[in-house]
Amino acid sequence: MVAPDLANEEDIDKLIISDDLPDEPTFKAYIEAKIYDKEGHVVDYRRQPMRSLTQYFLAFLSIALMGTYSSSSSTTAQSLLTNVLGMPSTQSSNGSADIGYSWSIQLGSGTQSFSPTLKSLAAPIANGSGAGQLIYGSTIVSYSGLTINVSVTVTNYSSTTIGVTEIGLIGTIILESETSTNAYTSTSFTNLYSYDTFSPAVTLPPGAIATFQITLSFTG
Amino acid sequence: MMISKGVEDIDVKMPKDVYDSGEHKSTFNVYLAVVVRDDKGRTIKVHKQRSHSPTYNFRTAILPEQWYQETGATASFINTGDVTTSIAGIPNGSYTLISYPNSNENYQTYLVGIMVGSGSQSNPASAYNLAAPIANGSGAGQLIYQAPTLPSQIMINGNSAYFYIEQTCINQSGSTITITEVGVVVEAYVVSYNDSQSFNVGNTLMWYDILSSSISVPNGGSITIYYTFIVNP
Repeated sequence: MVAPDLANEEDIDKLIISDDLPDEPTFKAYIEAKIYDKEGHVVDYRRQPMRSLTQYFLAFLSIALMGTYSSSSSTTAQSLLTNVLGMPSTQSSNGSADIGYSWSIQLGSGTQSFSPTLKSLAAPIANGSGAGQLIYGSTIVSYSGLTINVSVTVTNYSSTTIGVTEIGLIGTIILESETSTNAYTSTSFTNLYSYDTFSPAVTLPPGAIATFQITLSFTG
Repeated sequence: MMISKGVEDIDVKMPKDVYDSGEHKSTFNVYLAVVVRDDKGRTIKVHKQRSHSPTYNFRTAILPEQWYQETGATASFINTGDVTTSIAGIPNGSYTLISYPNSNENYQTYLVGIMVGSGSQSNPASAYNLAAPIANGSGAGQLIYQAPTLPSQIMINGNSAYFYIEQTCINQSGSTITITEVGVVVEAYVVSYNDSQSFNVGNTLMWYDILSSSISVPNGGSITIYYTFIVNP
């Protein structure tokens, strides 16, 4: 039997995005928060599915799926790196060029509607001990082969309670190259990879410590 | 809400015995679609399935520097010839990392294509090659691989965003060819920023799927494969 041919882009869109397929999805992601008061007691615990990845996360994944070059003979970057992540088509270098990645978790106290083009949290909570600020520890990453965990511990050294209503996974691509004087140089390209909210807010009273963790889990 | 152990437990893993505060719906999905055409270019079959398997190579390729710094470990790529290359992944000028286009010395890391095969294997995540790859050509059992089509943009539809990779293979072998497995293969090169070191990792399987049902490509016909990567579907 001969089926009707695929005539246009609309047909292709129907073909490539199938939301009615059975079976388990490829990927699951969770956000967790564990909050201790100043006496060290756990006072709150949250675990919720991650809901909102951005186009920048997709563009980041494209490095693993399509490489960095547009073809086997090109000297220019594949389009998602330039058009979405804002990276150069060709990096000036006296040697060669390479890329590495850094991830972090950003907390915020605002709210906003999600869009896959969202570039930042509505009201990021700055690093510090002043009013409305939190001290961020180092970002910790663990990897088991199936799961990547990203976590950060924050402390409220300010004198007032802080409400955390939003959380984002921040990704930085570090582009390394060599200057004309043969010195090392690097340029960073930072984007928001995910955006999620807490409702109700996660509250940190003065002296509280909290660990926020994002878990990315692959099947297969 | 729980009231329990003290702050000395701050480093323990998050407990897994609590209920999610919302229904889980995956925020990242991958779909595989295959269109089969006969020798006159007419569509004779459309195959759709959910894609499952980012390989360990893929996971290595996305690991951030913090993991390398904390563990002091290296991660590995295993190419389709079963040769292992270790990477340290710390961007500070001392290590070889994935190459990037530049004005001086280029070592291309690029999409080779969506490869197809006629075998299967039990643990797709650990696959480093297709079980029985179909070679490029017009000889018996071969398919002619066209150049893959890369996206130029990410498409946005409401809260969803997606891109797809597309590849066509033509059967001029003289007989029907059956495919049972599909994979995304990238040629990977790792280099140092000053070009003092460079290693060709070679063809590297990044994504792999066993087809939920086999697909027959008639002689003179073709298949076009679409791998779609989507967030917030």
